[in-house]
Amino acid sequence: MSTELLLSDKETRGKAGTRRYAMVIDLRRCIGCDACMVACKAEFDVPLGVFRTWVPYRVVGKYPKVKKQFLPRLCNHCDDPPCVRACPVEATFKVPDGGFVLQNYERCIGCKACMASCPYNARFMLPAQRTYSKITRVVDKCTFCHHRVTQNLVPACVQTCIGRARVFGDLNDPNSEVSQLVTRNATQVLRPEQGTKPHVFYIGADRNQTDYGRQLYNRNAFLDSEREAFNRNHSL
Amino acid sequence: MKAKVQFLEVSGKGGYIGLLGGLAALLVIGLLSAYYMEHHGHHVTGMTNQIVWGMPHVFAIFLIVAASGALNVASIASVFGKQVYKPLAPLSALLSMALLMGGLAVLVLDLGRPDRLIVAMTYYNFKSIFAWNIFLYTGFLGIVLVYLWFMLEKRMNRYSHYAGFTAFIWRLILTTGTGSIFGFLVAREAYNAAILAPLFIVMSFSLGLAVFLLVLMAAYRWTERPLGDLVMRRLKNLLGVFIGAVLYFVAVYHVTNLYATRLHGAEAFILLNGGIYTFLFWFVQILIGSVLPLILLFHPTLGRSRSIIGTACVLVILGGLAQLYVIIIGGQAWPLNLFPGYEISSSFYDGVVASYRPTLPEFLLGIGGAALAMLIVALGVRFLRLLPASLADERVDPHAAKAAAAEPEAAAAQA
Repeated sequence: MSTELLLSDKETRGKAGTRRYAMVIDLRRCIGCDACMVACKAEFDVPLGVFRTWVPYRVVGKYPKVKKQFLPRLCNHCDDPPCVRACPVEATFKVPDGGFVLQNYERCIGCKACMASCPYNARFMLPAQRTYSKITRVVDKCTFCHHRVTQNLVPACVQTCIGRARVFGDLNDPNSEVSQLVTRNATQVLRPEQGTKPHVFYIGADRNQTDYGRQLYNRNAFLDSEREAFNRNHSL
Repeated sequence: MKAKVQFLEVSGKGGYIGLLGGLAALLVIGLLSAYYMEHHGHHVTGMTNQIVWGMPHVFAIFLIVAASGALNVASIASVFGKQVYKPLAPLSALLSMALLMGGLAVLVLDLGRPDRLIVAMTYYNFKSIFAWNIFLYTGFLGIVLVYLWFMLEKRMNRYSHYAGFTAFIWRLILTTGTGSIFGFLVAREAYNAAILAPLFIVMSFSLGLAVFLLVLMAAYRWTERPLGDLVMRRLKNLLGVFIGAVLYFVAVYHVTNLYATRLHGAEAFILLNGGIYTFLFWFVQILIGSVLPLILLFHPTLGRSRSIIGTACVLVILGGLAQLYVIIIGGQAWPLNLFPGYEISSSFYDGVVASYRPTLPEFLLGIGGAALAMLIVALGVRFLRLLPASLADERVDPHAAKAAAAEPEAAAAQA
């Protein structure tokens, strides 16, 4: 049996009797409208210049066949989170039921150890002055909308996603939609080599975002320039 | 029979008051800078959410690493039984504590919430290397304080060897802990190396001794006390060995990384095309901060001059600051490889080298920490009998002094 499958006492994925929330982001459905970012900002009064979730993109192809590819990002709520290990005062902690990685703002000393240790750059420092909140000069991050999920609501970004690219649910429940999606589709996670067991799964990330995926799935587009060059030099 | 070494306080007249005033002014400027950054927040510094540790951390880590190394001289006397260094041991211990306090002050004042320092002292996550370092730093201060007391208190002198040995082991662990802060950051390609711990240990030897030599020379020059060539020759040769050791570890670190294909990008960034980081690495750290001091220290004629030794020490310190800048800031500037094979370019800093421009308050906070350390040393030597009245060769080691004096005579007789 692979050691990958062994559960540590901290891990909640596949553990009977506990919930393990996860998010599936179907990149085939993401249109880059940034509504998730706006909903998140509105939900948490996220200050200017920082984001709990963000949608980086890049432009691929050659004119006129160009398109944008998106890779929405947020805290991966890892099963083995390096930020929890790094925090000297246990201000960052993992909720055993649900697997949320949360931040205790009253305890955070702002040493930024968690920011340096996060493999996903998902954390940020809150500014010294805020209009509606007294939580300042500590580190913040996505909470998977813990306050909403505990009231049987989905996270704000999931609620607002117009293409239904984001799906949220309990991965330990075999009947949940996220479970079904992860089971039936090829999914990818960011930086799997870090062994953090992230819980944001992407569908289509390999297809859109890697050379291998483009060769495999978009063969024509990928080979267009080569075909043109070949035809120029080998007119029959 | 060997003459007993007499320790005396320095007099508090003339230039001493000016020195205290200058250091206090720098300290106040550092405190004002900390207040400015604390009041306005993270954004007035050059630090960002990509480069989370900046100039203050370079100074803080420098002072902490140098603190460990400043205890070298005392360790050589207590642990390895070299009597020549024994008169220097109290100053070595004081300097070590002072540098650590200066470094910790910078570190604490740069926290997002320095007002929550009590939280850091009361809640511990023992899986965090940062929490371990809190123990290591406070423990080091306590142990060296006891060590200093054992050295100064006549009836406790017989225990000073044990305290010195404990301090020696503790400081090795302390610097291992400091290096491991970066060694344990496995998410960053430029960190994540076990060799960073021993690298920081040898860096501490080199930087600590350079600072110690400068303080020693300044103290003896300003108090007009004799400082013999014997001590200086030994210390500067030792510094040269430590500089060579740092170069060796730096070479091993980079060669090992170059062997791993996945690290070629990060290595090329530091060694070839990293702009300011490449310049600091090759020109300041290697050339100015290591090779040039080695030449100066081991040159047969230049190496005898006090001003040249002092210059070499300053260059070693500059090189050390550059080295820490490259390690700490350069390591964060190199982007995370979030999706292997996926080249992201976006307005969210993915796949691009993070920029960092240190601001004046950050720099002044670091200078303030160094000023605090020197202020503690200045006050320590004023009120405690830590400095030997004379470190002339015949006082420190009469036999060696005689032998050294006999050498030219014998040569003349032979001629």
